[in-house]
Amino acid sequence: MGTGTGREARDRGGMSAHIDSGGDRRPAGGILALSLPYQVVAAVALAGLGVLACLHLAMVFLHVAPSNTLTKQHGQAVDDWIYPEFEQNWKLFAPNPLQQNVGVQVRAEVADAGGGTRTTGWIDLTAQDAEDVRGNVFPSHTQQNQLRRALDWYGNAHDDEGRPKGMRGRLSEEYMRRIVLLRIEGPGARADVGGEVRRIQLRRVARPVPAPHWSTEKRSTEPSIRLMPWWDVTDADRSRTETNR
Amino acid sequence: MSAPLPAAAEAPAPAPARVPFDRRLARAAQTVTSRALGPYQTAIVRIGFSLTWLFFLVREYPHRHQMYGPDGPWSFDMARRLIADNRSFTVLMWSDGRLWFEVVYALAVLSAVLLLLGWHTRAVSVVFMVGALSLQNRSVFLGDGGDNVVHLVALYLTLIRCGQVWSLDARRAARKAARGEGTAARVELAGPVLWVVLGGFLVAATWFSPVTGEWWIHVLLWVLWLGQGLWWLVEQYAPGEPRVLLDVLANLAHNATLVVLMAEVCLIYATAGWYKIQGSRWQDGTALFYPLHLDYFTPWPALSELLASSGIMVMLLSYGTVIVQVAFPFTLFKRKVKNVLLVAMMLEHAGIAVLLGLPAFSLAMIAADSVFLPTVFLVWLGGRAARGRDRLLRRGPAAELPPQRPAREEAEEKADGGLGGGETGGESAPRTLVG
Repeated sequence: MGTGTGREARDRGGMSAHIDSGGDRRPAGGILALSLPYQVVAAVALAGLGVLACLHLAMVFLHVAPSNTLTKQHGQAVDDWIYPEFEQNWKLFAPNPLQQNVGVQVRAEVADAGGGTRTTGWIDLTAQDAEDVRGNVFPSHTQQNQLRRALDWYGNAHDDEGRPKGMRGRLSEEYMRRIVLLRIEGPGARADVGGEVRRIQLRRVARPVPAPHWSTEKRSTEPSIRLMPWWDVTDADRSRTETNR
Repeated sequence: MSAPLPAAAEAPAPAPARVPFDRRLARAAQTVTSRALGPYQTAIVRIGFSLTWLFFLVREYPHRHQMYGPDGPWSFDMARRLIADNRSFTVLMWSDGRLWFEVVYALAVLSAVLLLLGWHTRAVSVVFMVGALSLQNRSVFLGDGGDNVVHLVALYLTLIRCGQVWSLDARRAARKAARGEGTAARVELAGPVLWVVLGGFLVAATWFSPVTGEWWIHVLLWVLWLGQGLWWLVEQYAPGEPRVLLDVLANLAHNATLVVLMAEVCLIYATAGWYKIQGSRWQDGTALFYPLHLDYFTPWPALSELLASSGIMVMLLSYGTVIVQVAFPFTLFKRKVKNVLLVAMMLEHAGIAVLLGLPAFSLAMIAADSVFLPTVFLVWLGGRAARGRDRLLRRGPAAELPPQRPAREEAEEKADGGLGGGETGGESAPRTLVG
């Protein structure tokens, strides 16, 4: 491994020459500087670490590779090895980049001063993010990732009929509600609705990016809208949860 | 283990006489046990990632509660429910107190600074890893590719001797060597104190192991901590063969992890590239057009529009990206081509930083790429940085330091040796950036 040229070997104190001659003078470091019992320990470590490194790389490879014979048979072993700390996904803009602007809008039922309720118009939360990102040298994760990824996750954690898939599905709903409330309720909110929010409804709006002008392709630019059910807002959905402790 | 580093491949030895296989094997075993390869490469990776994470933490400081705090949208209780299921490691699960959160965030920042400077690198790299994992695992739905790379490399860095050069550790070692071994009597207190404090944290981590973290991460922490203690004891009381053995073990862990890190970078590019090849947009050469029109990734719409207005330009860049990503792992066998592609990838990431508004991600990727930078270049860079610092501080080069070998001399020496995953091994006096 990188033993290099003879000149370098000389620079390192004639180590290689010494190895080749069988040596009556021990080098200062490395496995050859050790007596037999220590050498055994070093050799075992060398073998063990070598195997471990190869195994780890094989697992990472199988984790990022497409589904194949090996992962179909031993997928659980790979997952056990990888998750949670070595999870990775490098399909960056692959196989195809995202070709639509996915946004989320909310309307809320707000308690009135008179004791009744009123319903707000649709508030575009993603547009707030887009505005924050524009002209920003270093966008924060709260502007670029929080809502975007929460919506992604919400989609993945629900089936096609919009039913939550297990614990993660329910968690993703709670997460969405808390992100939304932070933005529409209270004086610190980006778009304060001016009252206590009772219920919220979200809709996901996907606007396809129009085909490039040089392309002859016909792409529909009609936005597709997906309405989510009304959700009751509880105290657990508000950021200030000290009372629960 | 003896899988050739690109270094070896790049320096085709003239092979004067045929060396028998067992001799070559012995020589390889000696190399991987006697030296921690790539001292400059691992140092630049250390500096790059600590800098990336530091920038990120400082930038997000005003948003830290909303991102990782106990009362943020991803609340403590929700994180607890998820982590009970996925078993990831985060010390933020130890308590939902606000003070504890502030302490952890502050320690994450501090560890990034100290790792950057290379102060007690081995111990600090562990703190850095714990800090990075704690924050990221606390709010796992907040991260992007940049966080992902930092997460992985933070884990790997704990096993890499990444402070051999350009570090306060290296400066201390150089001073000690200059004073001569005999005067080692000066007691170094910081190390033992740090060790005891971290021991306390380790006991806490073990206490909370039913709450957070898989078994192996606690084993890793214990092994590293006991290893540090053993190292100190052996250095004090058994400087002979036991000391050499510890050095051998540390080198082995370093070299194995370095190979893993290099392969990891190759896997990143291979995955990114090969999956793109299968996409129709990358095939028809319009792929780049679309991200340039996503609201989340267009901080400079006019600039994006300008780039996206030329079909030829978009196609060239789209095709170029795929070609470079797919080709990169294979070019490691050819030094010159590898370096050209490395420059191309770094430039592309610099472009992404600005154009798509992803500076942290881009910086992390550039830091990861730099593990493949040639030693000659890194040594030159170090020399430039040191001269720049001296000029800035208006003092003569290395005024208060034991004389170090000029970078130029070292560089010339290596010029024929290829990238050398560490041709400038332990023997030469380490250069330091901060000293």
